Amino acid sequence: MSTKALRVVWRITRLNFRAQLEYRSEFLMMIAIGAVWQVSVIVFATVLLTRFSGMGGWDSSDVLLIPATRMLAHGLFVLFLGRVHGLARHIQEGVIDTYLVRPMPVYRQLQLSYFPTNAIGDLTVAAGLMAGALSRSDLDWTATRITYLVVCVLGGMLLEAAMFTAVACASLRFPAADYWGRWLEELLGTFGSYPLNVLPKAVGGFLTFGLPLAFVAYFPAAVLTGHDTAVPYWLAAVSPLLGAAAYLGSRLLWRWSLRHYTGVNG
Amino acid sequence: MIGSIEVRGLSRTFHTTVRRPGFMGAVRSLVNPERVAKDAVSDITFDVAPGELLALLGPNGAGKSTTIKMLTGILTPTSGEARVAGVVPYQERERNARNIGAVFGQRTQLWWDLPVRESFAILRDIYDVPEDEHRTRLREFDELLDLSSFWDTRVRHLSLGQRVRSDLAAALLHDPRVVFLDEPTIGMDVVVKEQVREFLRYQVEERGRTVLLTTHDMTEVERLAERVVLINHGRLVLDGTLDEIRRKFGSTWQVRVTLADPHTPVEALPGMVLVRREGPQVVFGPDGPTAPAMHQALKQVIERYEVTDIALDEADLEDVMRAAYVQAGGE
Repeated sequence: MSTKALRVVWRITRLNFRAQLEYRSEFLMMIAIGAVWQVSVIVFATVLLTRFSGMGGWDSSDVLLIPATRMLAHGLFVLFLGRVHGLARHIQEGVIDTYLVRPMPVYRQLQLSYFPTNAIGDLTVAAGLMAGALSRSDLDWTATRITYLVVCVLGGMLLEAAMFTAVACASLRFPAADYWGRWLEELLGTFGSYPLNVLPKAVGGFLTFGLPLAFVAYFPAAVLTGHDTAVPYWLAAVSPLLGAAAYLGSRLLWRWSLRHYTGVNG
Repeated sequence: MIGSIEVRGLSRTFHTTVRRPGFMGAVRSLVNPERVAKDAVSDITFDVAPGELLALLGPNGAGKSTTIKMLTGILTPTSGEARVAGVVPYQERERNARNIGAVFGQRTQLWWDLPVRESFAILRDIYDVPEDEHRTRLREFDELLDLSSFWDTRVRHLSLGQRVRSDLAAALLHDPRVVFLDEPTIGMDVVVKEQVREFLRYQVEERGRTVLLTTHDMTEVERLAERVVLINHGRLVLDGTLDEIRRKFGSTWQVRVTLADPHTPVEALPGMVLVRREGPQVVFGPDGPTAPAMHQALKQVIERYEVTDIALDEADLEDVMRAAYVQAGGE
């Protein structure tokens, strides 16, 4: 992206944020919704720390690193790339058509359609969880480990964006495909916090190779804490790279899908 | 050519599933769907010269919006080709977007939560318009569309008329050579409609913009269009000036007379039919292709009957277009 394009993105984001601020109650409510939405993760973390010493051979402090990584990745996804979720509404209202007649990539315009205030709530919970996980961790947090954790969070963000972008591509052709996005969100929220070795093998296999949820936080946490997983160490270690590759692939799919967009109402 | 639109054999086919009636029909469609191809636009060819305003007309579902979507780069045609200001819109979408402005009457391109002026500023940045040019153009649009009375209001709080005026300004802020307007005045009151028409006339006559307009409002066509392209069932059925269309489809005049003696027996005259009679009031109309010209019809009536009053009603454009749609639909 050029400097000029970045300036436009920054300007639109600032204006959108200011517009949200002007509706004070709505703004605060959206932040609260973002935080409350993660209540299952907060309950999971509380139960884990107060009732159990560990899970699936992992110490509870190690396990905590999984939801913390996932939540942080998810919060960043919502903040930077989350508008791709719920694309069907833009299609049915014909908003995509107006994006297509502007000299700016449609994907970027979609992300700039409004400021995701709820991401502030998501990120607040995620930051608190990560702070808790790091403070309870016995690991030696060297610069290399911290860098790897940061890269894994970014990789997780891109992987989640890739999955939702793929659903959005299907929505461009069949707007009803958007419901799969809700299912995906539900699935990521439900299983994203567990070490997947506690689940039946078939479910773990599906959440690794079918829907690559394991690469968002489980494998990165396993690499950081030195736990074995069902896949070779190198594959778990390159999780962030896979996230980036998946995102790139999803953007190519987006480009192809947009060329075959048929719109609504003829 | 800069500012022109060239359309050659443009077609767009959509594939849809046939919905069978009833519950069992729905189940059968689910298990064994029957796919059909529907030609929304079929082999249409026309040109719009630089600085010309062309009205693209047709009944609902005729293919007008699909045509505009292909020319703005939203849809890719199934076959044929189009060039807008020398650019193939569906191959170079972003380049084409810099040359065109578009207003879709039923949806806005402005940011819903932002004041109108902020949307204008964002568009200035997107299109890379120099600040002084932007200010000059805004001032000009404000004079024509009275934007400053509401441009600090958020788009979500605007009335329809204010919103469409803002959209028109937004579509022209980057000084595009070609403008596409898809039913821009739909649902507006007459005062705002007139203001928008004045604005469009100014853009064509003074600024030399090429405009392709779709509308169902025949007053708008009469006031603005030099040429009309009529499409029906996706096919181009007529391309000509308003006069040509009137000549071809506009023979729906009526001669109304008041007879001096209300008891005079009346019968049809050559090339004319007796439309109705109420006492001394008699109405004659044309009878198909043998109908005489209007002045000859008048002459025939006066020569045959003794009348105390006579009037000639010429069909308005709406009647003419209705006749054209009916004839085109039957062909």
